[in-house]
Amino acid sequence: MDAIKPFDVVQMNPLKELSKPHSMGTTIIAIKYRDGVLVGADSRTTTGSYIANRVSDKLTQVHERIYCCRSGSAADTQAVADYVKYYLSMQSVELGELPRVKTAANLFRTLCYQNKNHLMAGILCAGWDPIEGGQVYSIPLGGTLVKQPFGTSGSGSSYIFGYCDVHYKDDMTLEEAEQFVKTALTLAMQRDGSSGGVVRTVNITKDGCERKMVPWTELPVFFEG
Amino acid sequence: MSNLNEENYEEERGGFVFDNVTRNMFMETKGYQAPIAMKTGTTIAGVIFKGGVVLGADTRATNGPIVADKNCSKIHFIAPNVYCCGAGTAADTENSTALISSKLALHRYSTGRQTRVVTAMTLLKRMLFKYQGHVSAALVLGGVDLDGSHLYTIYPHGSTDKLPFVTMGSGSLAAMAIFEERFKDDMSEEEAKSLVHAGISAGIFNDLGSGSNVDLCVIRKDSVEYLRGYDQPNERNYRTSYVIPRGTTATLSSTEEVLSKQLIINELDDRMEVAP
Amino acid sequence: MSILEYNGGAVVAMLGKNCVAVASDLRYGIKNTTVGCQMRKAYPIHQKCLLGMAGLATDVQTFLEKMKFRVNMYKLREDRDIKPSSFGNMVSSALYENRFGPMFLEPVIAGLEGDDNTPFISSTDLIGAQCFTDNFVVVGTASEALYGMCESLWKPEMEPEDLFEVISQCLMASVDRDCNSGWGGIVYILTPDKLITKELKGRQD
Repeated sequence: MDAIKPFDVVQMNPLKELSKPHSMGTTIIAIKYRDGVLVGADSRTTTGSYIANRVSDKLTQVHERIYCCRSGSAADTQAVADYVKYYLSMQSVELGELPRVKTAANLFRTLCYQNKNHLMAGILCAGWDPIEGGQVYSIPLGGTLVKQPFGTSGSGSSYIFGYCDVHYKDDMTLEEAEQFVKTALTLAMQRDGSSGGVVRTVNITKDGCERKMVPWTELPVFFEG
Repeated sequence: MSNLNEENYEEERGGFVFDNVTRNMFMETKGYQAPIAMKTGTTIAGVIFKGGVVLGADTRATNGPIVADKNCSKIHFIAPNVYCCGAGTAADTENSTALISSKLALHRYSTGRQTRVVTAMTLLKRMLFKYQGHVSAALVLGGVDLDGSHLYTIYPHGSTDKLPFVTMGSGSLAAMAIFEERFKDDMSEEEAKSLVHAGISAGIFNDLGSGSNVDLCVIRKDSVEYLRGYDQPNERNYRTSYVIPRGTTATLSSTEEVLSKQLIINELDDRMEVAP
Repeated sequence: MSILEYNGGAVVAMLGKNCVAVASDLRYGIKNTTVGCQMRKAYPIHQKCLLGMAGLATDVQTFLEKMKFRVNMYKLREDRDIKPSSFGNMVSSALYENRFGPMFLEPVIAGLEGDDNTPFISSTDLIGAQCFTDNFVVVGTASEALYGMCESLWKPEMEPEDLFEVISQCLMASVDRDCNSGWGGIVYILTPDKLITKELKGRQD
C-alpha cells in the first residue's frame, strides 16, 4: 500500500520522490492468544523509494491496554490515532474505568468511514478490556469494522495470508503467538520491498503491555534463493 | 453596510485569501504558466548528542535553476529552547515556523512555562495536516526541554518521526549517507558539530539544490549557540574590479528632490520579557 | 509563456555607501506588442523607501494601491513613516495571504532606515518569501541577465554617483538582451538628504 494521494502536491518541488506523502508500505499483524493479544509490525517508512525511517514505530498506544497498528499514509494514521487517543482518555476519565477495545475500534471506524474520501488508513485495533478480554479488530480502507481472531494489513500482508491461515490456532500460548507473529512478519519483510527493518511487538494482557524489538540479525531465516 | 471604522475599509479576517484562485486557473487554461515560487532545495539535518541537539543547514535558495539567495538562513527560531530547520517552498517554511513561534510565545505568556518540543511539533503537524500537503514545509525540529533533548522531522503532509539523527531536503540522501556511517549514541558536542558539518557539506557539494555555507545551531540544556556561517567553503575568490567613469551613462533628465528634515522617533524597544 | 512575461519589465535594487538605488525599464507591453514606454516600475512609498515591482501589470497596480493604503493606515496609527524592513514584512505577508492564488508580481524594497540612515534592500518571490542581501536584488524578465551584470559590476561602498553608473550599466546591458523589457530606463538614488531621479537614454527597439 504505497499511498499516493490523488492530487499533485509536488508540482513545485525539486525532488518529487522526497515530497510525496509519507507512506508506510507496511506489514502489520495482530493476534488474539490465550492471555490477551499480541500486535506486531515492521519498521519501514518510505517516501517513494527512499526509506525515510528504518526504525519507525507503527504500534501506537491509544490507551493503557489498547494499541493500534497503522498502515497507509503516516500523516493520516497519526492524525486519526491522535484523535482516538484523545477521545478514549476523555471517556475513561468520565467513566472512571478502562475503555473497551470495541469502543476504540468503533472510534477508528467512525473517523475512517466518515472521512473515507480524504484518508488513506488501514488500521488494526487490538487490546484487552475486563469485559471481553483480548480482542482484535480490523478497520481496512473504506472504514469497515471487522472483529477477527487475528488480522493482518499493509502491503506486506498479501504475502503471508497463506502462512497465517495454515499456522493460526485458537488459544495459542504467548511463545506460540510470538513465534507466529515473528515468522509471519519476517516472511512478509523478505518478499515485500516496502516492508523491512526490525520487528516490533507489543504483548497486551490484563497485567499490562510489554514491548519487544527484534533486530534483523536475530530474525529467523527462510528460503533465500 | 456595516459601520465604516478604519478596520472595515479592508476586511481583516486573517488566514489565506482565495480571491485570485479562479482567475489564475483561467489564465493557466489560456496557456500562461504560473511562475515558480522560491524553494530552498536544501540540505538540513539534526543530531542529538549527550547534552543537547545540533541542527544544521546549507544556505542556498533557488528559483528554478537560478540561485535566488546565496546566503539565506534556514534555521528558524521557534522558542528560546527550540529551533527549526526548513526545507521546501521558502515562503511556507518561513511563515509556518513564524506562525507557530508566535502561538508558542502567547502560550508561554499564558502558562509561564518553558515551551516543550512536542508542543511545537504538535502545533506544526496539525497545521500542516490541515493543509493536506499544500503548505509544502519539510521541517527538522530540535530542542531541549524539561524532559531532555528531542529531535523530530515533520513532513509537509503532517507526519512526524522522532529519531536521534535526521536529514531532510533534496540533499538529505547525501547527508544521511554520512550520518548512517558516522553516528554514535552519546556523542560529545564537538563530535556532533563535526558530524552535522560533514553531513551538510556532503549536501552542499553533491546536491545541486544545496550550496554555499554551513549554518549550525547548538541547543544545550541552558544555552543556545547560533553559528551563522559556521563554515564558508564557497567564498567568492575572484573579482575583477570594473571602474565605470562617472558620466558614462547617457541620461535624458535628472531631478533632485531634497528630502524634508524629519523628526525621527526611535522605535521603543518595549518587548516584554518572555518566560524562559 | 509565463504570466510574468505577459507585460515584461525588469527591476533592480542596489546598495551603496549610505545610499540605495532602484532602477527599472520603462516598457509596458502586452506579449510582443509594446504599448507604452513611460511606465516606471519603482514607486516611492515615503521619503526614504522605494518599492519596485515587476510582473503582471494589473496585479502590480492593484498591489501598489493596497500597499499605499496599508502604509497610510500604518502612518495614521503610528504617527511615523514605516521602516523599510518593516515595510518588507508588510509586503511579504500581504503576498503570502494570497499563497494559493498568488498575485503575479515580484517586489523589491529599498530604503534608508533609522537615525543613521542604514541602507536596506530586499526582494521577495510572488508568495512573499523574503530575500535579504547586502549587495543587490533583481526581479523581472531580465533577471537572469541582471544577475550576471550585477555579480560582475557591483562592488561594496559605492558613492551615489558611482552607484548610479553601475546600476544603470547593469540595467541597460541586461534589458538589451531581453525582448520583454527596455525602451529606456529610470533610476532612483536615495541618499540621506535627497532623492535623485534620472531618466536613462536607451534603445527604442
